[in-house]
Amino acid sequence: MSANHYAIEVEDLVAYYGSRRILDGVSLQVGYGEIMVIMGGSGSGKSTLLRHLLALQTPRSGSIRILGRDITTASADMLHELRQSIGVSFQGGALLSSLTIGENVALPLREHTRLDDSIIEITARLKLEIVSLGGFEHLYPAQLSGGMIKRAALARAMAMDPKMLFFDEPSAGLDPVVSSELDDLIIKLRDTLGVTIVVVTHELESAFKIADHITVLDHGRILISGTADIVRNSSIERVQDLLHRRSRPIEISADDYLHRLTGG
Amino acid sequence: MAYQVKKDSGFSVVHLTGDIDLSCSPEARKSILDSLAAAQPTLVDLSAVTYIDSSGVASLVEGYQTAKKKNLEFGLLGVSEAALSVLELARLDRVFPIYASLKDRLAKNG
Amino acid sequence: MAETSFGSVRGRLVQLGRAATAVIEEYGYWVTLLGESLYWIVVGPFKRRPVRLSATVAQMVSIGIAAVPIVFMLSFAIGVMLAIQGIYTLRQFGAETQVVLGIALSVVREFGPLITGILVAGRTGSALAARIGTMQANQEIDALRVMGIDPVRFLAAPVFIATLVMVPALTLFSDLAAMFGGAVYCQLELGLNHVAYWDQATSFIVINDVTQGLIKSLVFAVIVALVGISNGFAVTGGAEGVGRATTRAVVASISYIVLADMLFTYFLNR
Repeated sequence: MSANHYAIEVEDLVAYYGSRRILDGVSLQVGYGEIMVIMGGSGSGKSTLLRHLLALQTPRSGSIRILGRDITTASADMLHELRQSIGVSFQGGALLSSLTIGENVALPLREHTRLDDSIIEITARLKLEIVSLGGFEHLYPAQLSGGMIKRAALARAMAMDPKMLFFDEPSAGLDPVVSSELDDLIIKLRDTLGVTIVVVTHELESAFKIADHITVLDHGRILISGTADIVRNSSIERVQDLLHRRSRPIEISADDYLHRLTGG
Repeated sequence: MAYQVKKDSGFSVVHLTGDIDLSCSPEARKSILDSLAAAQPTLVDLSAVTYIDSSGVASLVEGYQTAKKKNLEFGLLGVSEAALSVLELARLDRVFPIYASLKDRLAKNG
Repeated sequence: MAETSFGSVRGRLVQLGRAATAVIEEYGYWVTLLGESLYWIVVGPFKRRPVRLSATVAQMVSIGIAAVPIVFMLSFAIGVMLAIQGIYTLRQFGAETQVVLGIALSVVREFGPLITGILVAGRTGSALAARIGTMQANQEIDALRVMGIDPVRFLAAPVFIATLVMVPALTLFSDLAAMFGGAVYCQLELGLNHVAYWDQATSFIVINDVTQGLIKSLVFAVIVALVGISNGFAVTGGAEGVGRATTRAVVASISYIVLADMLFTYFLNR
C-alpha cells in the first residue's frame, strides 16, 4: 500500500565510489506534490544520492521506488517509460550545445511523442515563455548567460509535463534576484500542476523558502529529515553548524594530525 | 477524453471532456482545426475538462492562430479550474477570449 | 632490503594487474558499444525509437564528404611516390614499364585503405572523442539518459552507420586518386599515356584485390568509431580530460589500424 502514498521511497540505500562508502543506509520518503530539499555540505553524499534517484548509478544495496516502481531492478523499457514522467534540471544546464534552445526543449517531445511538428514547436515556445525566455528559441546555449541556460534547462525538463522534477543546485551561480525568481517558479509549479519536486542544494535561504520537507545529509548519513520548522529548530549540533555556517571543529587528535601531515 | 461538436447560434462549439493529454490531444486538435477549416466561428468548451497538458494547450494556441489568419472568431467557454491554472502558468488566460458560457458570449453581442 | 624489493615487485605486479584489467575492461566495453549500436540500428525502428536519420546524414557529411579534398591530396601524393620508387627500383632490371603493376596492386590492396584509415582516424577519431567527451564533461550525456534518450542510439549508432558507409567509399576514391597520381608521374617520366596506363592497371587488378582493400576499410571504420566514441564516453575531469581523450583516441586508433592491417594482410594472403 505504501507504494501509493509516496512519490519517492528510498530504503536503506548504500553506495560506494570505488572502495569509499558515500551513502550509508539512507532512507527517505517524498509525498506526492511535495517539495523536498536535500541539503548538505560538499562531500555529504547529496549529489550521489541524486544520481541514484535518477537511476544514473546503481546502488550497492537498498531500494529506490519512484512513482511506485523500484528503479534499482526495473527493466530498461520500464525505466524508459518512467523517465518520460520525470524532468531534471542539471547544475550546469546540460543543454545539448549542438542544438538551439528551442530544439533542446523540443527534443524530448520529438523523441517520445508523435505530435505534429507545429504542436511541438508551440509547446516548446510555451515552456520557454514560462521561464521568461520567450523569443530566445533560435539561440544556441553558448550565446546565453548562466542564468538563462538554467532557465532553458528547466523549460526542457518541463517539456513532457512531468509528474516529478529534480533540481541540482538551482541557485548556484545565479544572482540573488534571478535565484529568487527561480524559487518562486518552483513553488508555482508545485501549486498549479501538483508536481513533486526534489531540490538538491546547499543554499540555506532558498531551501527554507521553498521546502515542505528538508533532509540534511552529512557524511553519507541522514542527520535529520522533517518539515522546514523541525529542521530549523533542531537541537542537533551539526545541523546548527550547517544552518549558521559555523566551520566545523577539528575532530582528530594532535598525534593523528601529525601522522597525516608527515605521511609516516 | 471525449469530444463533441455542436452547432449553436451560428457558432461551432467543440465540447471537450475528461483528460486531454498526449494520447488524445491530436484528436482534439483535429476537431478544432476541422471546424475552422469549415469556416465556422469556433468556441471550445472546457467546462468538463479535468486535466489538460501542454500539447492540449498548444492545440488551442494553434487553433486561435489559425482562426486569426482566417478572420474567424475563436474563444474558450467555461474554462474549468484545472484548465485555467495551466493557462495561467503560461499567461495564456490573457490571450484567449474567455467566456463563462455560450450565453455569456451571445450576451456580448447585445 | 629484501622486504623493500619484495614490496616493489608486488607493487609492480599490482600495477600490471590493474593495467591488464583496464585493457580487458576497455575491450569489453567495445563489445558492448558495438552490440548496442547494432541493436539500435536493427531493432530501434520496431520499437519506434529509430536511429536519427538527420544525425546519420550529418555524420556522413563530416566523415566522408568533408574528407574528400585531403584524401585526394594525400592519395595522389602516395601514388606519385609509389611511381617514383617503383621506377627507380625496376630501372635496375630494365623493367620500368612494369611499374603500373606495382602501383596498381599496392594501392588497391594496401595504401588506399591504409591512408584512408589513418586520415579518418585523425579527423574523425579525434572529433568524436572531443565531441562526446565534451558532452560527457557537461553532463549532456546524463541529461540524455534521464530524458529517456539512449546515448548509444542517439550519438553512437549514427556514427557506426556513417563510418561503415563512408570509409569504404573514401577508400575507393583514394584508390582512384593514388592511381591517378601514378598515372601523372608515369606520363612525365616514362611518356606512358593515360589510356595505356589505365588499360594495364585494370588488366592487373582482379576483383579479389579490391574486396581485400574494402574488407580492411570496414574493419578500420569500426576501429575509428569504437575508439573515438569509447574514449569520449570515458572522459572524466573537464576540459583537460577531453584533451587527453582526444589525443588518446587518435594515437590508439592509428595504432590499432596499422596492427589490424598487418594481421589482415597476413591472413588474407595465406
